[in-house]
This record gives sequence, structure tokens and C-alpha cells, in this order.
Amino acid sequence: MVSVTQSIATRLALGFAVLVAEAILVASGVFYFGTIGVMDRRVDGKITAISNRLMETFQNRPVEELAKQIELELHDGIDSDTEIFLVLSPSGERVVGNLTAVPEAARPLGQVVTGEVVREGKRTSGRLIARQLPDGGYLYVGRDLSEQRSIRDLVIRALAAGAGASLIVLAGGALLFRHQIEKRIGQIRRTAGRIEAGDLKQRIPVASDDEFGRLSVDINRMLDRIGQLMDGVRHVSNAIAHDLRTPLGRIRNKLDEAVRHGATAGSLSEAATSAIEDIDGLILVFEKLLQIAEAESGVRTRSFEAADLNRVATDMVELYDATAEEQRVSLKATGEGAVLAAVDRNLLASAVASLIDNAIKYAGPGAIVQVGAYAQARSVAIEVRDNGPGIPAPERPRVTERFYRLDHSRHLPGNGLGLSIVSAIARLHGGALQLEDAAPGLLARIVLPIGQTPEVAPDPAERESLRQSSPMRCS
Amino acid sequence: MRCLVIEDDADTCRYIRNGLTEAGYNVLACDNGLDGLHHATNESWDILILDRLLPGQVDGLSIVAKLRDLGKSTPVLIVSALTSIDERVRGLRDGGDDYLSKPFAFSELLARVEALLRRARPLRDPTQLRVADLALDLRTFRVLRGATAIALQPREFRLLEYLMRNEGQVVTRTMLLEAVWDCHFDPQTNVIDVQISRLRNKIDRDFSPALIHTVRGVGYRLSADG
Repeated sequence: MVSVTQSIATRLALGFAVLVAEAILVASGVFYFGTIGVMDRRVDGKITAISNRLMETFQNRPVEELAKQIELELHDGIDSDTEIFLVLSPSGERVVGNLTAVPEAARPLGQVVTGEVVREGKRTSGRLIARQLPDGGYLYVGRDLSEQRSIRDLVIRALAAGAGASLIVLAGGALLFRHQIEKRIGQIRRTAGRIEAGDLKQRIPVASDDEFGRLSVDINRMLDRIGQLMDGVRHVSNAIAHDLRTPLGRIRNKLDEAVRHGATAGSLSEAATSAIEDIDGLILVFEKLLQIAEAESGVRTRSFEAADLNRVATDMVELYDATAEEQRVSLKATGEGAVLAAVDRNLLASAVASLIDNAIKYAGPGAIVQVGAYAQARSVAIEVRDNGPGIPAPERPRVTERFYRLDHSRHLPGNGLGLSIVSAIARLHGGALQLEDAAPGLLARIVLPIGQTPEVAPDPAERESLRQSSPMRCS
Repeated sequence: MRCLVIEDDADTCRYIRNGLTEAGYNVLACDNGLDGLHHATNESWDILILDRLLPGQVDGLSIVAKLRDLGKSTPVLIVSALTSIDERVRGLRDGGDDYLSKPFAFSELLARVEALLRRARPLRDPTQLRVADLALDLRTFRVLRGATAIALQPREFRLLEYLMRNEGQVVTRTMLLEAVWDCHFDPQTNVIDVQISRLRNKIDRDFSPALIHTVRGVGYRLSADG
């Protein structure tokens, strides 16, 4: 496990916690100022209004009338328990009011301030305003804040309790969050570890369809692909071991014989010529195997560019027309119009050439071979159709395997690599080689998807349909 | 003809040098890129044959690039074990005139060297090709053997044109595939032999002397004298 400070899970959880804590703080602040703040402002407003009213009403009347009015206010039962009034004579003596001590804080004049006062013998804090009366005395109007204070304390305590509880839940949540992430990543890491240790069959368990689930599916798919490639390499090694040993042994024996039995210049030169021919054949097989490996590595080459598939078909028909004539096979390009696709022209042409070569070779004299490209809704296809004997359905998936040959074709020249290469080339283009019954004959079709490059993985549904439509996929 | 060979594999180098010397070339061989670059840029050559992968810092393609930077148009034949189409395209794009994959037959190399040397010389009359009584008109696409007009399909016309442009020289099957069908892959069948045989039926069968000659194990040569 990664140290706590380095853990992305911890950092995510912490970041999340800080964010939520900030949100709680802001919410509390808004709530506080929305309640206590508003109450405070209301009190200030009231005090100012009352003092203004009193000052205006008793502007030109004797101070006794003002004193009477204040007595009235203090005993009218409206807010009487919190109201503060005090009138002082110019000499500083109390004329009327419920304050026993003169608040020092209530200066400057005309402003609402908070101050300590003694109201009816009790020390308390209040908001009050001081005004100068026309006779030189002072009028104090205010509100006792003790009730306000207790409400505020209540609100703050409630908010603090709420925030505390939230923080505890939050901390628990963050821990759980971290634990979950580490659990999911742990699965991936454990699988990776087992694969590294050599168990290539391991896959990450996929329990859900969330981001981790999808990541796991992607990684599993990548592992499948790597597994396929490794199988391919193993297959090639086996194929080389089996199918190249024989011709190498043959060459060796021929040369050995030529050297041992009274070597004449003639026999030596004959043996050398024959060895060169055999070696050329081997080189050819090697080249084809390399070509398959290259195509199967799935690396999109730089040579991909837009090409007209019917043009490719026509070019290859014109390459093979003389051969077809010689074999009395009718070879025709039947595609119409331009069918464009981004392809490696040379690779695709070699695939088509290989299919035409097969068709001429296996369909035999008198056969009709048609080559053409067609556009479909989401793909393009280049087809080679013959009316020869075709390939029996059970054999069709096998003919794209390296070195696989049909029993009845073993007497014909070939190395059993042609269709493997065509299939590999189709897959390199993100498509597939489909072999179908042309009733009679064989319909070989290279289907290439359009509007999508092999680099961008198709979505799973599409991939599934692609897989189903290509029964000869090597896996 | 002065020929510079830059190839680090001693056997391959000897194979090329001996063959070219036998064919009458004056050959200098270098076994590393630095010497090769020195000789290639400081002396004048009719043709360069070089390997792509060379020991030291200087590889084959950088020699070609340097040469082209200096404005030298000496024909360059690249010989390489990097055989994928991408690598070929890169070799040709970087200034190589032709690309030959290893392993190769010496005859293929010689044919390509000769073709490059011919290409370096300008054609005298680009509209009319003539070998013995065979005439090919590039403007009207007409082919005459003596007074007889011969009907050829477009590809056959291009095949014959290529053979006639290389009159007296050996052209290999691969060279024909590349030049006539633009196929940079080896179909590994006898398609070219069959194409030649059909062309022969049209221009040689009813006439004398035969103009298209098979060079065993190598390819074909078109010439009036057998």
C-alpha cells in the first residue's frame, strides 16, 4: 500500500472533506447572518425610529411632556421588558427612565452603539442611541440585548453541533471513500502482479459498470489481445519448427549427397542450383510469415491513405488477366464506381492478388472469377467470387490458420499461408476476411469498416457484431 | 563505371564487389558509414549501393540525405534487410532511387544498377521507341511490327514500352511489377512470366527475329540480337 500522504485516494478524500467543510461553513454563515444579523439590524432601526419620533414630537414642548410620554412607553406592555429610556437634565440628573447608570459608551451623539448599562438595577448590555434635547439635556433610547444574546448563543451552539456532527460523518465518509478506491485499485494491482509473475490467464474481476469496472474491462481486453499476439508468436514458432525443418533437411541432404558421391562439376552445380531454388522457397515462406506478423502486430502503418478499391480490383485483374487466359478462366472486374477507403494500398492489393490467385488455381479451367468492390452502410467490401468447388463449411474457419491446407489441394503448389495473410491484412485494417458459399464456389470478401480507424476501439456492441460476422477470427 | 559500395557485412560486400567487378565495374567498398560518407561526398561516382543499417553514427539514409543536400544526383540503390513497405517508402522518400530487399540475387542487383544508370541518361526521342522493326508510338498508342499493326491492351502497351526503353538490358520480374503494375509486393507466382508469354504471342510469334529473350533465373531482355 502507498504511504498515506502519497495515496491518491487519501488526497481525493481529503480534498473532498475540505470542500464539504467549506460548504458547511458557508451555509452556517449565511444562516447566521440571515437570522441574528437581521434581528440586530431590526433593533437598530427601531431604536433610531423611536428616538426620531420623540425628538420631533417634543421639539418645542417642555421636557415634562416628554417624560410623561416615556413613562407611558415604559408601561404600555409593548416590548416594555427590553426597552431602555433615559432623559437627563442639562446638569446631568436623571429626569425619567429605567437606566440607573449613565452609559459612558453612548457617545457620539446620534449613532446606535453597543454599551454596558445598568437597567433597573441589573447590569446588561444594550444597543442605544443618545440625542441632545433642545434644552441641553440628553435623551437615551435603547434596547436590552440580553435576550438577543441568548438567542445568538443558541444559534451558534446549534450550528456548532451541526457542523461537528457533519465533520464526523464527513471524516467517516472520506475514510470509506478511500477504502473503496484502494480496494478497487488493489484488485487491479493484484491481478497485474499475478500476470507479471507469469500467470497470463489472470483477468481483473469486473463487478460493476462504473469507471473502475470499465477500466477493468479495457485492461482485460488489452490482456486478451496480448494473449492472442503471444499465441500467434507461439504458433509461428511451432510452424517454423515443423514446416521449415523439412525443407532445410532436404537442402542439407542434397548438398551432403552431392559432396560425398564423387563430386563432378556438373553434379555440384546441379546441387547448388537446386539448393538455391529450395532456399528461395524458404525465404518466401519467411517473408510471408514476417508479413503476417507485421500485419498482426496491428500497428497502423504510415502508408494508410484513401484509395479506390475498385481501382485496386481492376489493377489486380489486369495483373492476373494473362494467367487467367492461360488457365482458361474468365476473370472480370465487376465493381462499378469509386469505392473509397483509407487503406494500405500495397497490402490490400497483395491480399486481393492472393484471393484472385487462389480462385484461378482452385476453381480451375472454365471457371468464372469476378472481382469487385462495393460500399455498404457502415463498411466497404472487396469481393472475389468464383464458381469452383468452394471450401466445405467446416473447413472454412481453419483455412486461415498458418500452414493449413485442404486435403484435396495438397498436390497444388502453395504453402498454406495465403489466406492467413489475407486475413491478417483485413484485421490490420480493422476489418475481416469472410469466406462464404457462393453456391456454387467460394465468395471471399474483405470487409473493411469505414468512418472508424483501427486505433479507435469500437464500442463493445459493435465489436461483438464484428466478431460474430467473422467466424474465422483467430483467437 | 565507378561504383561505391557501402555495406558492413563482409560476405554480402564481397558478393556485391566480386559480381560488379566481373560485370566490368570499377568498385570501391566501404564497411562503415563514416568512410562511406567521406567517399560518397568527396569523389564522383556513377552509382552508389548502400546498406541502410551501418555501424557507427552514420546510417545509410543519412548518407543519401547528405548527398542530396549537397545537390548531387548520383543514382543510389539502397540494399536493406528492412523490407516492410513502410521502410521502402521511407528509403525512396529520403532520396534513394531504388530499394532492394535482402536477401537478393546478384542478377537482380545488377539489373537494377543498370536500369538506374540508364535512367540517369536522358532519352533521345521520348515519343517514339524503335527496336529492329518494332515501333511504339507513345502519342498515338500504336504498335507496329514491320507494317503490321499490333493491338495491345493498355497494360501490355506499358509492359512493352518499359522493355523497349530498357532495350538490350536485363529487367527482372520485380522491376516489371513495380514499373508496369505499380505493385510493390511480390505476388510470388508466375504472373509476370505469363504476361510476357502473352506479349510474346502478339509481337514475336509470327515475326522474326524474336525480340523478347528470357534470361534464366533473372528476368527478360528485349533486343534485336539474341
